[in-house]
Amino acid sequence: MATRHVVIGGGTAGMNAIRTIREEEAARSEITLVSAEKPYSRMVLPYYLDRSIAESHVFTATPRVLADWGVKAHLGRRVTALDAKANACTLDDGTTLEYDDCLIATGSSAVRAPVPGADGRGVHSFWTLDEARAVLAEIAPGSHVVMVGAGFIAFTILNSILALGAKLTIVEMEPRILPRMIDDAGATLVEGWLAKHGVAIRTGARLATIEDAKGRKRLRFAAGGDIVCDVVIMATGIKTNLEWLKGSGVTINRGVIVDDHLRSSVPNVYAAGDIAEGRDLITGEPAVHAIEPTAQEHGRVAGANMAGKDVRYRGSLIINIVEVCHLDVASFGAWDEAKAEAASGVKPDRPAYRKLLWRGDRLTGAIILGPSSDIWTTNDVGMLKGLVQSGVSLARFKAYLKRNPFDIKPAFIASKTTSALLPETILGRPSKAPGNTPVAV
Amino acid sequence: MTTASLRAPSKRPTPSAARQPQDGYAGKLLRVDLAKKKCWAEPWSPDAMRELVGGVGLGAMILYRETATKGGKGNVSWDHPDNRLVMATGPMAGLPAWGSSGLTVVTIGAGTNGPTSTQANGFFGTNLKYSGYDAIIIQGHAPDWVYLYINDDVVELRDARDLLGKDTWATQDTLSAKLGLSGHMLSVYSIGPAGENLARFAAIQGDYGHVASKNGCGAVMGKKKLKAVAIVRGTKALRASDPRGLMQAADDIGFDLRTDPSAKSLYEYGTLPGVVNLSRLGALPIKNYTTNVSSVDMSQWEAPKLREGFDHRGHQCSACGMHHCHMSVIRQGERKGTIVDEPEYEGWSGAGWAIGAMSDIEGVAWLNTELDKACLDVNEFGWICGWVMECQEKGYITEEQLGFRLKWGDIKGAARLIQMISHRQGFGNLLAEGVKRAAEKLGSPAKDCAIYTERGAAPRGHDHRARWDEMLDTCTAATGTLESGVPVHPTEVGQPARINTFDGEAVAKFIAGIRGRRNFEDSLGMCIFTTRTRLENLCRALNAATGWDVTVPETVRFGRRTSAILRAVSLRCGHTPDLERPSTRYGSTPIDGPAKGQAVGAQWEKMVDTWYREVGYDRKSGKPLPATLKELGLDWLTKDLWGKRA
Amino acid sequence: MLATATNVLRIHPEKCTGCLRCELACSYMQTGTFHPAKSVIRVSPFEGHTSYAPYTCTQCAEGWCMTACPVGAITINAAGAKDVLDDTCVGCKLCTIACPYGTMFYDPDTRKAFKCNLCGGAPACAEACPTAAITYEGTATEDWLGEFARVRSARVLAGVR
Repeated sequence: MATRHVVIGGGTAGMNAIRTIREEEAARSEITLVSAEKPYSRMVLPYYLDRSIAESHVFTATPRVLADWGVKAHLGRRVTALDAKANACTLDDGTTLEYDDCLIATGSSAVRAPVPGADGRGVHSFWTLDEARAVLAEIAPGSHVVMVGAGFIAFTILNSILALGAKLTIVEMEPRILPRMIDDAGATLVEGWLAKHGVAIRTGARLATIEDAKGRKRLRFAAGGDIVCDVVIMATGIKTNLEWLKGSGVTINRGVIVDDHLRSSVPNVYAAGDIAEGRDLITGEPAVHAIEPTAQEHGRVAGANMAGKDVRYRGSLIINIVEVCHLDVASFGAWDEAKAEAASGVKPDRPAYRKLLWRGDRLTGAIILGPSSDIWTTNDVGMLKGLVQSGVSLARFKAYLKRNPFDIKPAFIASKTTSALLPETILGRPSKAPGNTPVAV
Repeated sequence: MTTASLRAPSKRPTPSAARQPQDGYAGKLLRVDLAKKKCWAEPWSPDAMRELVGGVGLGAMILYRETATKGGKGNVSWDHPDNRLVMATGPMAGLPAWGSSGLTVVTIGAGTNGPTSTQANGFFGTNLKYSGYDAIIIQGHAPDWVYLYINDDVVELRDARDLLGKDTWATQDTLSAKLGLSGHMLSVYSIGPAGENLARFAAIQGDYGHVASKNGCGAVMGKKKLKAVAIVRGTKALRASDPRGLMQAADDIGFDLRTDPSAKSLYEYGTLPGVVNLSRLGALPIKNYTTNVSSVDMSQWEAPKLREGFDHRGHQCSACGMHHCHMSVIRQGERKGTIVDEPEYEGWSGAGWAIGAMSDIEGVAWLNTELDKACLDVNEFGWICGWVMECQEKGYITEEQLGFRLKWGDIKGAARLIQMISHRQGFGNLLAEGVKRAAEKLGSPAKDCAIYTERGAAPRGHDHRARWDEMLDTCTAATGTLESGVPVHPTEVGQPARINTFDGEAVAKFIAGIRGRRNFEDSLGMCIFTTRTRLENLCRALNAATGWDVTVPETVRFGRRTSAILRAVSLRCGHTPDLERPSTRYGSTPIDGPAKGQAVGAQWEKMVDTWYREVGYDRKSGKPLPATLKELGLDWLTKDLWGKRA
Repeated sequence: MLATATNVLRIHPEKCTGCLRCELACSYMQTGTFHPAKSVIRVSPFEGHTSYAPYTCTQCAEGWCMTACPVGAITINAAGAKDVLDDTCVGCKLCTIACPYGTMFYDPDTRKAFKCNLCGGAPACAEACPTAAITYEGTATEDWLGEFARVRSARVLAGVR
């Protein structure tokens, strides 16, 4: 009898797992997908929001593709319970699915600041496709949009809101923007840049209530200074979708604890993506990395192992990049490790900033800011990732890089980082092209 | 210091300038007023581009229009704030033809106090054009030392006081480090101490070893208190009218350069073969023209030998495939490990043969780079240093006068002389005035040993007593240096393939007949060595870049038009035909060697007469004749030069 | 040169003179204009002004850019190169940060990622290089620059010219 795989969650991790199972399996298996939404890519919602792509562009697997892959899909359904002992899960329509192995990839969802009025009309999260649709329906040229929260998610849609012709105000509870993506110096630079581009920013602002105000919205703050606007977007964080796993028998900490094969404490239950707490490449410690590249790698490694391969995962690397008004902002690895040895540099004539963090001779993290028109910046974005990812010894270049944080290339090349990286693949073999379907995975 | 970001020009762009930009061009001229601390972009129209092309064509017109004294009769002198320092590229700069980063410096130079056109390359033209400018026009004197910083639309005059006293290489090192840009990401043309201290043969040096060397253009920069021009590699695009056609033409030019006998040795070894080749003609200047017989084994000076002694590394200009510009690492001796610019032929001659350094090849290579760093023209230094050596040997300049004993071939002594001239220390203060002024100051018999033209220029690093064509060209050219230049495919412009080089009449006709080509080449933004192909190929490349239909006759006509305009400027500067002759030594007769007994002096007047007749200039006044100007389409210049009589 | 799926751009750094002609040719293929800022082969300097070498995509086995793309906009073309499908790319830049070699690029004008696609099997850079420092050969890709760069960075590190 064919192996029965159940994949719970149709996001990046789930879809990558499905495709990898098909690529790797020796004998055709049964794959069942349970997904609350039609599979689409969250990464591209900002481009749907600014209308540069059609809604159809966001989907990662159409019903036809799922059929081509031989996936039995339960779309619009959620798994309400997992019984690891019984090798079965129950759906919200009462269906029970038995499996030989299963993948938990239910991701995370947006949370709103706990203030009165946060769930009112005209207040939105921006996480799911439905939420994107709702935001898009409300923003018109000239609208005043207030974004509550100045984190990565907020910044991914900043350009889109401006592109729609809206006026944008960002309010952040913490004393500065992008608190979980870049350091103070970088944040100061980005704030200045945004101010120059007409984005109002209010940091250290504790939101008290959101009220209706004659068809508009009024935001009241603990320290006063109301803002009246048309649309409120709550970008105040995300939480892991773990509740349904209570009593499943799977060990949970901040996420589902997984080993280097993406296996949970139950050998035939895997977890991948935002929900998995796997190895951090830099620290070696368990961590939840709720980012797209981790979901993709987790999904593929889990899929390969579910297909009977023995693929070990080195760990995931925190990488974030966002472009705001043609300024690239990126960070990698342990960029915020307080006790790391750090060196930074600013260019006087361009909005350009670098910070390199070290542990011994290895680069363990980096922050890079620069104009996106500056192609040489883009070069360095990748190279810094390569240096952090490969962990090559930079002993010869350490002092030089500390003095010249903008001159990454000679260090990268002369330290033979390419040699270190070339043999490296996630699945132990060359990756396959996505094919002709509009499928990411 | 001052931040003068680009401002809108006071004049509204003309309708023609607002048209679709001209293919091949960046489309704007960058105007820098050092006194007002302002920089702004000026449009120039496609019609003006077609008329002036770029480089010396553009620069000559700017000099003519902008450096006249009130009333238009005279001209401002080199050290006047109204003097212009034009640093121009051309339509081919930044494009894939070989050696296409051409810089032509046009100014009223400190050497002759007259018009100057001098070239360099590296990455100046490429970086400037991709920043959006075809040329920089610099005027005024800065109140304090500045450098010009160009980074696309950010153009600033920045404080250069911390760069003061640094040599040209150290200046570029410092700016690279300060701006965090390495390699060709930053092109820097600067002056060293010699320019700062207004040595009259100070050059402008850039990108480690490329030198716009003639006529004291570096002193002009020094007078303007402009230490350097630093251009970040621009991020803009250049369009070619027919990009594929341009690449094909560039490849065809490359083919010519690789295979044509007139270019092949340059392709393989740059100008290195010049040493041995010219020695065979008696045109290698040895010990200040005192002999033409080498006392050393010439086999060590064969081009391959000159490279063997060094770990040489390519250091080519933009898009260039020539095995010409190199960096060399000295492998032996006390300067082992030092990186130097591999000397050009003129470096081997000026820093070597002319001063009697004929066996210490490493030493000559090092000295040549010391000159680049100080920013002194290697040719004039050769004549100055060789002259001092000869005069000391003969007792015309005493040890007390100079401060030390300087013998033939003394590399360290020569290096000391560089420092004395660059800083105008002691006797160096006089020598910094250039060979002609120093010689005239000392008078005979020292004066009779000095090599110069009466206009005040120093010749190239050859013994022109065996190259009469170049001597005539050097003396008659408005810019004081080669204007017709080394002939390339002379039959293409109706001249004989070869002539008797000691027949004055034939030489004069020939040098007049090939006039025009060189100014055209020097307007393209290319290198004089990578234009050693058929003019037809250059036209094809230019037309593919611009969409024009330039023909071979038009290139010559353009070049001669440019010559006439430069001549008009030089006349305003007071350069009369009586200055168009060599100094006593320069025009003397070789006493030995292959050209022994060939007396250029005997034929000189007749040569000049013939030349004037052939070029259609008035022998007495030096003015281009009205008929000549009419033929060149310069009727407006006739009015200026000849008044109503014409 | 025949285009086969196994041909790669082989770099001979010792032959590079730093003329940057490859960048001009590449940008012409990428944009139709001469625009070195948009070249996907980039000449890196070592020891400042005396050593150069072109650097471009290795077409690595993992294809970090390709696997990272959330919309499947990066595929493998007939020449075996990872290639960006312009009409699928949304410009999210994930590939630029996923590529550990620094050879993914983003064009703010078109809002698309772009990269070396080996010109579909006839690389313009190799064609344009006047010293054959870039060749297109049927060989396995390697770290062509590492050893050269190691040697030629000694002076930079020693702080001497």
